[in-house]
Amino acid sequence: MNPFDIKAALLAKHAQHVVLIHFPIGLFIAGVVFDFLAQSTKRLALAEAAYYNLLGAAISAVPVVATGLLAWQFQLDGQKLKGILLMHLVLGCTSMILIWIAWGLHVRSRRRPQENLPVFRLGLETLAVAIVGLTGHLGGFLSGINGPS
Amino acid sequence: MRRSVFIAILTVMAAMGLGGVVAEHKSFMASAREKPASAAEVKIDNFVFGPAAITVSVGTTVTWTNHDDIPHTVASTAKVFKSKVLDTDEKFSYTFTKAGEYPYFCSIHPKMTGKVVVQ
Repeated sequence: MNPFDIKAALLAKHAQHVVLIHFPIGLFIAGVVFDFLAQSTKRLALAEAAYYNLLGAAISAVPVVATGLLAWQFQLDGQKLKGILLMHLVLGCTSMILIWIAWGLHVRSRRRPQENLPVFRLGLETLAVAIVGLTGHLGGFLSGINGPS
Repeated sequence: MRRSVFIAILTVMAAMGLGGVVAEHKSFMASAREKPASAAEVKIDNFVFGPAAITVSVGTTVTWTNHDDIPHTVASTAKVFKSKVLDTDEKFSYTFTKAGEYPYFCSIHPKMTGKVVVQ
């Protein structure tokens, strides 16, 4: 298969979700790391980096969830899920909500410069990283990353 | 007179013999028709359909069994058949009533492919 064949890439069954998922995971974890560093060093540049990484994570999470739901509806005919697939779906949706809440807290803070970012966001972001990691682990398990090449 | 009686007995015996042969033939044909269609099995293990290609005769029921810890599906490329999501040790069966080639794949892991050839 030609790796630059756009049509083949777009029509690849279920492949888009697996490709796109790397963006929100990477951007969100980077955003949280920058946020922790910004909190401890009080450096504005790190806070900015955190904001834009979280923004990227929030935006890129949308097509990831959308392609996951489409794969469920079309590849699996929307049948009732159970087991690992159900856990992956629930945790994936929870991850997106938490990513959007974390990003929303940063947006709110930027719109109200007189208010500091709430410290509880760090706990929320840590929880979100854990859930994102667990979702990704299950996704990797489902995708057969441990299977034969 | 004796000769005609002998011919009559011979005719009756021949008719009975022929009837027996016909009945036996009918019985054989019926038993052949009632004989259950053959079956074949495909195992899903370690992200592989095994055997990947299987040749069966028309009327054969193929059963796929998922031995993986991961859910899989069995979906015909030409949309002839499609299983639900098969968890560990769950099975899916399909009876092939027409000759032809039936490539299939797993909807969750599209690089998992297999083929049933029906002759």
